[in-house]
Amino acid sequence: MLEANESTPVTAKRSQSQLISLCVNGEWREVAVKPRLTLVEVIRDSIGLTGTKASCESGACGACTVLLEDRPILACLTLAIECDGKRVQTVEGLAEGGKLSAIQDAFLDQGAVQCGFCTPGMLMSATALLRDCPKPSREEINKALEGNLCRCTGYNAIVDAVLQASGQGVEPVMK
Amino acid sequence: MSELSYVGKSFRRKDGPDKVTGKAMYAQDVKLANTLIGRILRSPHPHARIVRIDTARARALPGVKAVITVEDTKGIKHGFVETPRYPPDQEVLARGKVVHVGEEIAAVAAVDQLTAQRALELIEIEYQPLPAVFEPEEAMQPGAPEIHRSHPKYEGPHANIGGNTETAWGDVEKGFAESDYVREDRFECQLRTHGYLEPQATLAHWENDKLNVWTSSMGSFVKRAKLAKTLDLPYSSVRIHKTYVGGTFGGKIDLYSHEYCAARLSMITGRPVQVVASREEIFSAYRHAQPLILEIKTGVKKDGTLVAQRIRAINNAGAYRGSGVVVIFLAWGFTMIPYRIPNLKYEGLSVYTNHTVRAPQRGHGAPKVRLAIESQLDMIAEALGIDPIAIRLRNARGPGERLPNGDDTHNCGLSDCIRLAAERSGFLDKFGRDRKSPPSGTIRRGIGIGVSAYMGGTLIYPNGSGVIVKMNDDGSAVVLTGAIDIGQGSETVISQIVAEELSIGMDDVRIISSDTDTTPQDIGAWISGMTYVTGNAARQAASNARDKLLQVAAEKMGVTVDQLVLKDKIVCHRLDPERRMTYREVIAHSVATRRGDTVIGEGYWRTMRDEANHPSLATTKGRWTENYAFSTQVAEVEVDIETGEARLVKALTVHDCGFPINPALVKGQIDGQISMALGHAFMEEVITKDGYTLNPNWLDYRMPTIHNMAISEDVDVITEQYRVGQPYRSKEVGEGLVSGILAAIANAVYDATGVRLHSTPFTAEKILGGLKRLQYQAKTARQAKTEPVRA
Ligand code: FES
Ligand code: FES
Repeated sequence: MLEANESTPVTAKRSQSQLISLCVNGEWREVAVKPRLTLVEVIRDSIGLTGTKASCESGACGACTVLLEDRPILACLTLAIECDGKRVQTVEGLAEGGKLSAIQDAFLDQGAVQCGFCTPGMLMSATALLRDCPKPSREEINKALEGNLCRCTGYNAIVDAVLQASGQGVEPVMK
Repeated sequence: MSELSYVGKSFRRKDGPDKVTGKAMYAQDVKLANTLIGRILRSPHPHARIVRIDTARARALPGVKAVITVEDTKGIKHGFVETPRYPPDQEVLARGKVVHVGEEIAAVAAVDQLTAQRALELIEIEYQPLPAVFEPEEAMQPGAPEIHRSHPKYEGPHANIGGNTETAWGDVEKGFAESDYVREDRFECQLRTHGYLEPQATLAHWENDKLNVWTSSMGSFVKRAKLAKTLDLPYSSVRIHKTYVGGTFGGKIDLYSHEYCAARLSMITGRPVQVVASREEIFSAYRHAQPLILEIKTGVKKDGTLVAQRIRAINNAGAYRGSGVVVIFLAWGFTMIPYRIPNLKYEGLSVYTNHTVRAPQRGHGAPKVRLAIESQLDMIAEALGIDPIAIRLRNARGPGERLPNGDDTHNCGLSDCIRLAAERSGFLDKFGRDRKSPPSGTIRRGIGIGVSAYMGGTLIYPNGSGVIVKMNDDGSAVVLTGAIDIGQGSETVISQIVAEELSIGMDDVRIISSDTDTTPQDIGAWISGMTYVTGNAARQAASNARDKLLQVAAEKMGVTVDQLVLKDKIVCHRLDPERRMTYREVIAHSVATRRGDTVIGEGYWRTMRDEANHPSLATTKGRWTENYAFSTQVAEVEVDIETGEARLVKALTVHDCGFPINPALVKGQIDGQISMALGHAFMEEVITKDGYTLNPNWLDYRMPTIHNMAISEDVDVITEQYRVGQPYRSKEVGEGLVSGILAAIANAVYDATGVRLHSTPFTAEKILGGLKRLQYQAKTARQAKTEPVRA
C-alpha cells in the first residue's frame, strides 16, 4: 500500500524503463519505454508521430492501426516492448519523397476522408491489403477493413478509393 | 447566367493532404512541454446527496499538483440554453448533490496518468443515496423522486418538468370532427450516441494571464463564451485555438466539465493540463441523444387530405436541462414543415430523469418525429386504399407557402422530390410485391418512403458569422474565418466561394480558421447553417475585395468598373482583353495611391436580418429562418423471416438542398447520414440499468461497420432555381437526411413483412415477434371463418 508521505510519484516507483529499438518508417530509433506502455502511446507520445490515432484504446475501432513487419496490427493492444527490433510503418511513412501513395490519392479523389480521424488506420489497413492483394474484390476489401470504424462516410467512398487505387475502373469523383 | 468555375464543382478537400499524411492536428495531438494530466472524479450514484468530500489524501500524493471541487470554482452556472425563461442550471462540478451516474465531482492534475488515477481513488466522498427515476413517464408522476423542481412557468400537474413547448395552428378538435378517418399511435426510440471517433479531449494552458485552449469542439466561439463566463474571465483572456475535429454529430457543442477543469487546473498550477476522456467515460458519463416518446393523432379526408394532427412529445431529458428544451421545440418544427395541415396542435415536455445530460445529435429530434409521422401516414394510406406516393403528393407543401411560424418555404422542391424518388426507385412497381405474392425462401424484400425537411442557420449565439479576405501582393488571398472543419468540408467550401468571387485558383486561397483571437466570430458547425451563413459571409468578403480591385483598376486604366472583368488574377477590359492589369499590379497601385490600402475585404451574414431574436422555445412565436431544405428518401430492405434479421440494401435520397457548392461533399454528407440512420434503425442502443451504462464500448454498442454498408444514391432537384437572380444559394444537407430514411426503413420493413414496428431499433426479436403475431391473427381469422356462428 502506498503511503501518502512518500516523496516520488506512483509511477516512478513502479517500473523501470527499458531501452528498445524500433525502425519507424525506415528510421531506427532507440526509445526508453515502460513495460506497460502500448505501441500507440510510444509512437504518439515518445516518438511524437501523432498521425496514428487513439480512439477506443480497446481494440474495437482500428483507428490505431499501424503496420508491424508489414502486418496491420492494433497499436493500442500491442505492448511497445514486444516490438523491440521490429519495423513499424505509420501513416507518416506512406508518402514517398512528398508524393502521396496511390491509396492516399484515391482517398482524396473519392471523398473517403471527412473528419479524418479514422483515415490513418484505414489507410494502413488498405495499404496492407493492396500489398498482399493488388486487385482485391469487394469482399476482400470488406474483410480487410472490417475492423476499422468510420462514422462519417458510410464506407462507400472508402471502398471506392481502394478500388480506384487498385486500378479497377473506379474514376475520381473529386478533382 | 455566368459560368461558374469553382462553385458547384467537386474539388478535393483543402484539408485532405494533411489528413491522409497524418499532419492534421487534433486536440490530442498538440503537445506542450511540462503538461500535466487531468482526470475527473465521477459519481457512482444516479442520485445522492454529497455529505462530505475530503481531498486531503489526494492532495498529499506525490506527483499531484492540484485537486479541485466545486469549492474551487466561482459557482457560475452554465446551460445549453441561457434565456430568461431557461437560465443556466448546471455547475461545472457537482454541489451538494449528484443527479446522474458519471456526474463530475472533482478533478485532479498530476504528473502522469497513473498518479492522477491514484489521486482520484484517494478522494473520499460520503454519499447519502436518494431514490432515483429513469423513465420519463414515471418521473412525471406526482410523488416521483424530485430531481429538480418543475419549471416555475409550467402549470400542468406533472413533476420533474424541465420545460415545455405548446403551440397550435388552426383548430385541431374541429379538424378531427371534420375528418373521415382518424387514428392514434405511439412511437418510442432507443438511447443512441454520437459515436465520434475522436474522443473528447482538451489541452489548456494558462500563461501570461491568458488561457490558451485546444479542444475538440463544434464551435470555438461558443466554447470561448462559456469558458470565459464560468471562469469569470474577459473573452479577450480566452483563446480557443484551431484544431481539426474528429467528428462531433452534435456531441461536442456546449461546455463540458472536463474543459472547465482543464482550464481551472492550468490556472492553478501554471502548467498545461490535458484531459482526454476514455471511450468508457464517453459512453457512460457524457451526453447522448434524446430518446423521445411521440403520441400522434391524425385526421384525414377520404382522399388522404390531412385535416388535423396532434402531437405530444415526451423527452427523457436526463438530469439537467441540456438541450432537452430545444428538442421539444424543434420537434414542433419537424412536425409542421413538410405537409400542409390546416389544424395542428403540439405539446412537448422535457422531463428530468437520473440519466446523463442530453445533447443534440444529428437531426436533433427529426428522425424520431419523421419516423412517427411517416409511419402513421403509411398506415392511414393503407386504410384508405391510397398508395404512399399519392398521399404524400396530395399533402406536400409547395413553393412560397407560409408556415405556421410565419416563415416562407421559398423555392420548395418537395413535390419534385417525391415524384422523382418514386420514379427513380420504381416504387409503385415494387411496393407490396412480396406481401401479395410471397417468394419462396426466407428472404422478403420491401420498399418504403419517408419525407423530411430541415431548417438551417436558425439564430442562436453567436447568431452570425464574419469573414475577412486579405489579398496578398501576388494576388493570392488569405481567408480568416471562424468556421470549424469537423469533417463536413467547411474549409473547402469557403475556399471555393472565395476562389469563385475573386477568380483565383483554389491553391491561391489559404484558410486560417476557427481561432478566436485571429479570426472573426462564427456561428460554428451546428444548427446546420455553416455553408449558408459563413458561406454567404465569405461571398460578401470576397466580393468586397473584388470591388476594391475593380475600382483601383478602373481608375488606373481610365475606364468604368462595368467595363472590366476578372479572370485568373487579371483585370481586363471586357471588349479589349489586351488592356489589362494583373492583380499584383492592381494591389501595388492600391498601396501606392490609397494610402497603403492592401485590399482587404470583409463580409458578414446572419439569418433573419429582420428578426431580433430566436423564436420562443416555449411558445414557438417568432420566425426561424429563410432556409428550409426538403427531401424524400426511399429505402429498400431485405428481411429474413426465419431469423428476423433485416438490413438496408439500398437508399435513394432525393433532395432540395439549394445550390450544392461541392456536390461530392454533399454526397459525403448523405452517405454518412444513411449509415447513421441504418445504425439507428437496426443496430445501436446504449443500454442502461439504474443509470449505469451496460455496454460502454464499441464491441457491445454496435455501430455500422463496412459490412453494414448500403448502396446510397442521390438526386438533387431544382438546383438551377438557386441561381436565379443571384449566383448561388445554398440550404441544408448535413443533418436532415437522417430522418426520412429512418421512416423509409420502417415502412420498408412493413412492406416486406406486414410487421409494423412502433419503436426503434428494429431488432430481429421485434420483427420475429411481429411475424408470429401476424400468423396467430391469420390463424384465428381462419378459425373464425370456419367455425359455425352460433345464433
Ligand atoms: S484505438 Fe486501437 S482499436 Fe481503437
Ligand atoms: S472520416 Fe470521420 S470517422 Fe471516418
